[in-house]
Amino acid sequence: MPNTQCPVTESVHFIEKSIRIGSFPHPHTRRMAEEIHSLLEDIAWGRAGDDHLPAIRQRVQALLDDPVFAGGPNPGETLDHMLKAHAEVFQSHIETHNCSAGVCEWLTPAPCQTACPAGIDVPTYLSLISMGRDAEAIDVIRQDNPFPWVCGLVCTRPCEFMCVRGRMDTPISIKYIKAFAAERTISQGTYRNPEKEADKGKKICVIGAGPGGLSAAYYLALKGYSVHVIEALPMAGGMIMVGIPRYRLPREVIDREVAMLEDLGVTFSFNTRFGTDINLDALKSQGYDAFFFAIGAHTAYTLGIAGESDFPQIIDAIDLLRQVTLGERRIPGKQVVVVGGGNVAIDAARTCLRLGCPDVTIAYRRTRHEMPADEEEVEQAEEEGVRFSFLTIPERVLGADNQVTGLQCIQAQLVEQPGSNRMSPVPVLGSEHVLPADVVISAIGQKVDASCMAELTNLNWTRRGTIDVNMVTMETSIPGIFSAGDDVTGPATVIEAIGGGKRAAEAIHRYLTGIPQPQMPPVPVRRGREACAEMSASAKTLLKRPAIGMLNLDRRRTTFQQVELSYTEAAVREEASRCLRCDICRRCGQCVAVCRDKMGIGALALGYLDFDHPTQTDLLLTEERCIACGACAANCPTGAIRIEDRGDERLLILCGTILSRQKLVFCHSCGKAIGSAKYLDFIRDRVQSINSSIEPTIRCEACSRKATARFNVDALPV
Amino acid sequence: MVFQRGQKVKVYQPSTDESWRPYMDRFVGLHGIITDPDTTINDPDALMEVSLDKKGTHRLPQDCLRLIDD
Repeated sequence: MPNTQCPVTESVHFIEKSIRIGSFPHPHTRRMAEEIHSLLEDIAWGRAGDDHLPAIRQRVQALLDDPVFAGGPNPGETLDHMLKAHAEVFQSHIETHNCSAGVCEWLTPAPCQTACPAGIDVPTYLSLISMGRDAEAIDVIRQDNPFPWVCGLVCTRPCEFMCVRGRMDTPISIKYIKAFAAERTISQGTYRNPEKEADKGKKICVIGAGPGGLSAAYYLALKGYSVHVIEALPMAGGMIMVGIPRYRLPREVIDREVAMLEDLGVTFSFNTRFGTDINLDALKSQGYDAFFFAIGAHTAYTLGIAGESDFPQIIDAIDLLRQVTLGERRIPGKQVVVVGGGNVAIDAARTCLRLGCPDVTIAYRRTRHEMPADEEEVEQAEEEGVRFSFLTIPERVLGADNQVTGLQCIQAQLVEQPGSNRMSPVPVLGSEHVLPADVVISAIGQKVDASCMAELTNLNWTRRGTIDVNMVTMETSIPGIFSAGDDVTGPATVIEAIGGGKRAAEAIHRYLTGIPQPQMPPVPVRRGREACAEMSASAKTLLKRPAIGMLNLDRRRTTFQQVELSYTEAAVREEASRCLRCDICRRCGQCVAVCRDKMGIGALALGYLDFDHPTQTDLLLTEERCIACGACAANCPTGAIRIEDRGDERLLILCGTILSRQKLVFCHSCGKAIGSAKYLDFIRDRVQSINSSIEPTIRCEACSRKATARFNVDALPV
Repeated sequence: MVFQRGQKVKVYQPSTDESWRPYMDRFVGLHGIITDPDTTINDPDALMEVSLDKKGTHRLPQDCLRLIDD
């Protein structure tokens, strides 16, 4: 396929060109071609319905049958070929409002949406929240993610890393805005499930009630399947329930969102461990048509040091967090050393503080700079009183009488190893020392517990000890068995598990209905195109990302109350309105280029357009330099930038941001608006060399011609 | 190389790792941002979550990634 790689856009270009060069000489064929053009444009702009393709085919057939083309070239043949060769692409544009090639301007997702592993339409829900339409925003989110509240509190937010506003100043606070809207919607009782499809009469078993399993269950239930979830723990949530402490994610948040799945008809069997309490044959005998495994990665790695298995006070962090979630409140010890530098180590240390441990130290073998835990988590732990011992390698657990007394460590220094660009910790001879401890917590990672899957002998595993799947469809090596989540990726993020569950649900549906599986990961689907709210360029520039409120330090040290609080409503609405609306502006830069290169004005300083080399953005510069000529708007392919006359003013508006507002000058003769004073000056400067006599009276083009021409058509002597 | 969240990277070559899939060949040459490195032990063998410019978020092996200057 030529040029654009999208047959829809290609066919629009083709018919446009054919009309332009006169390939339809007869009026009735030209009318037919114009109708086809209009229908194709509807598809390319996301406005088409079910009747569009049949209507196009009917008109193309009429062109093919038309005798005026007999013996000569018929553009209908090319169109007919395109429609037949790429029928599924045309259909997909209509059904999903999505251009997988990213060519059809209105159907291409914004960078934040593309970055989200679940593909949430971020700009649409942000604009709804900016207008106070929280429930509608949550409806939009829950088309792609069943857990907006959970993700509003613990998502690793790839969307914010790709946020274009981040190239201008700071990214939109997407995560906290989502949390606010979800909380508000649940509080007001407007949090609802999407409409379910009709019952398909088939049963699916989901093994594991973590984010991946619950996500798959949600989408399968919406598609009309009967879904039953079995779970080893006594409650749903998996790692988000037992691996994330309550001060980061309150249990009620998970419970409320899981309850929405029960409303859809999803049923649960808790305290049922696959491989122990039930096996695959038993499940198959219950008539399930497909299985989805999301068993997570709950087994901790051991430290592998002397004395580790000699004392009961050596515990793993995941087990500690699990026990605390299940109700354990006794302090593990008075002097706790946590070994590790990741998020789980931080969570374990902060949990110990809250349980009442007076002295908690994290021992990490590299420096703070190399610490893999989130920076904010490390800072918060430090504020709460967790101590850090960097460049510390544990060597041996010391103790007597079945009681740990300390952790013998050796000081490390970082050196560059030959053939590696990675600094490695190397022990410093003679630097042995003892960290006093009565409990040692190991937090050096988790792996998948493969033992529960031992009966699935045909199941392929990766060398990393994870289930080997097709990452597009989440199919395992056993037909009818699918898998996603940490058991596939290793310990990863909540949003990845949710995205994996969603992909698996689609693949299970295709498997059960005999539809071929996709070969590429899905492209996120645009869920809407909300109008842009207007605001001044100065407001858009001056609004800053608000800081999140925090629980006071004493409560953080003593209770499991949520640490990160919420934005105020006003802050949420303002922050959502900082969005640059990249779902509408594709950042092609044509406006900047035409203003700078063709007009020689350079009024648009949109430094955020380039991903690799962003430069300074100054939205206020436009007001100073713009002449309101409209060249930028005329060249914008998506209508993101537009020029509009309102009363006696001409406004230049980019996705709702008023970049320039200039007084209009009116024709002294007929009263028609003829542009801003700056624009007229610009024209005068340009034509001065050929017409030096500038008349004092300001007239529009037509009035000027009337006044100066010797003849005009009306007064021409016959 | 220790990758950290927020760093800009380039997929500069196909990986020889088993987790590299044929559809990832078209990622070669793309730029992106590390959005979830190994947050446990900085394992050089761990898969990194990378958000690629215009091509979504994927877990990629480290041998295909190179840091790029901002």
